[in-house]
Amino acid sequence: MNSNDNPGISVKLGSIRLKNPIVMCSGTFSSGIEYNNFYDVSMLGAITTKSFSLKPREGNKPPRLCETSAGLLNSIGLQNEGIDFFIYEHLPFIKRERFNTILSMLGSDVNEFSDLAVKVRNIEENLIAVELNLSCPNIEKGGMSLGLIPEEVENVTATVRKILNIPVIVKLSPNIENLPEITLRAKNGGAEAVSLINTVVGMAIDINTFKPKLGNVTGGLSGPAIKPIALAKIFNLHKEKILPIIGMGGIFSWEDAIEFILAGSSAVGLGTVNFVDLQAGKKILDGIIDFMNNKNILNIGDIIGKVKAG
Amino acid sequence: MKLIKGEIVSNERIGNNLYKTTIFSPYITKNAVPGQFINIKCCSDNTVDPLLRRPFSIHDVEYDFKVFSIMYEVKGNGTHFLSKLNAADVIDFVGPLGNGININKIENDDFLLIGGGIGIAPLYFFAKVLLAENKNVFFAAGFKDGNFLLFDKMLERLKINYEIYSENGMHGSKGMITDFIKKRIDDFKEYDIYCCGPVEMYKALQNIFCLKNIRAKALFEEIMACGIGVCKGCVMKFKDNQNGYIYKSVCKDGPLFDLSEAVFEQ
Repeated sequence: MNSNDNPGISVKLGSIRLKNPIVMCSGTFSSGIEYNNFYDVSMLGAITTKSFSLKPREGNKPPRLCETSAGLLNSIGLQNEGIDFFIYEHLPFIKRERFNTILSMLGSDVNEFSDLAVKVRNIEENLIAVELNLSCPNIEKGGMSLGLIPEEVENVTATVRKILNIPVIVKLSPNIENLPEITLRAKNGGAEAVSLINTVVGMAIDINTFKPKLGNVTGGLSGPAIKPIALAKIFNLHKEKILPIIGMGGIFSWEDAIEFILAGSSAVGLGTVNFVDLQAGKKILDGIIDFMNNKNILNIGDIIGKVKAG
Repeated sequence: MKLIKGEIVSNERIGNNLYKTTIFSPYITKNAVPGQFINIKCCSDNTVDPLLRRPFSIHDVEYDFKVFSIMYEVKGNGTHFLSKLNAADVIDFVGPLGNGININKIENDDFLLIGGGIGIAPLYFFAKVLLAENKNVFFAAGFKDGNFLLFDKMLERLKINYEIYSENGMHGSKGMITDFIKKRIDDFKEYDIYCCGPVEMYKALQNIFCLKNIRAKALFEEIMACGIGVCKGCVMKFKDNQNGYIYKSVCKDGPLFDLSEAVFEQ
């Protein structure tokens, strides 16, 4: 069955309705334009763009990538051309191809988020939501450094929420202990969902040169290596029943996606897998639909958080 | 660019840890230009080691048979996996990728190609394309030792002038190919120059060309994740127009760049 004809595959996160639970993670799919060469990416529940800031950012010193056992360390540092580039270069394509777009926003402080939101307000009718990147471990100001502070999370979320008329999602880091408190603050600020998890802080060292393998010394670990960490974080946060969760962190197959849904994800984010399998979104969606058919699951919502954990 | 499943026609060991894999693909042979690369999945289905695809430049194209080749040294898990494949095995790759050499924009008749180590691989394809256009090609190649001995035969078949140096004297003349270029640079001042090799070779060539105010193009490589310009992981530093610098993606903005614009960290 074509996924678009299957009402049982649609999901709801607050007021955000996705036609299926497949969401592309920020930074791994650009705005979807390149991947549209490999399949019709308008079939996806949503595409989260790479994070755009008010002004262009040059990103971190290379090397920016290092492969580890079943994982990928990166220290890209959110290189991007600025929000105007998104508006003028990507948005026309996105509109024409009818991509379901979540815009990832990045600011170094609440003022930059506010200025950015004012710009985004002019194009918000083309977006299904915005995601606030409060969890990137690779930058000094903004990102995870903002997401660690409960008051800042609430303040930034509320500021953006007041300016925009579309739903706000907050992307959270696994590198913090007080996830329920941070999630509650995001909710108080007006967020309708959280994305969990961003990358795990990690490091690799070249034993011949004694130097770190990344130019930025440490980076963010993604890929199958972090999947158990992500599942546990999602499972524990879902129990708190604070906000719906877009679960992500090392999903490489439809079986992984089902695990994330059972752990408590209302939607699933695909990230690093996009680099390896350029048609991962389509394949994982097909796999979820086949699984539902085989198990006689009429509505994917019926199994969210239904892991039998006693 | 396309996601392709291509059948291996042959997988030959041509030196110590040096392999040439030939793959059937009408799409690649029709569309690839020199300097472009393919990004190969180097593990079995449903496994994740190694996790990322591995980029390989296109080394040769045989249009009549609709096959192309890659040449590689076995260095890690990805190349080890490839070296164990056999004829009739099918590999999963994306290509052709990157900003290669557009032969239609080339006006000069004389070309100097400088390859260091495995950097000869993409330049060999370029040499063949140039010869088909009746251009004059001089190939200068430098190696560490005698591991690329078969390369002489390949160049002889092309009937072009060439010079080979190796650091230990096992192949061609003893010494560095960059010293040969330095000595003979005035002979090549009117040539279009293309190079591919390790960073140390590029640094030496930059110095030589800078003194003579010669511009050259170079093919670069970096560790890549997506291979299609999405992730910004494979960037290198280049000079910009305002005396500053800019990070460019090797996979999409390159791999072909002006050598003079590259900024190498000390």
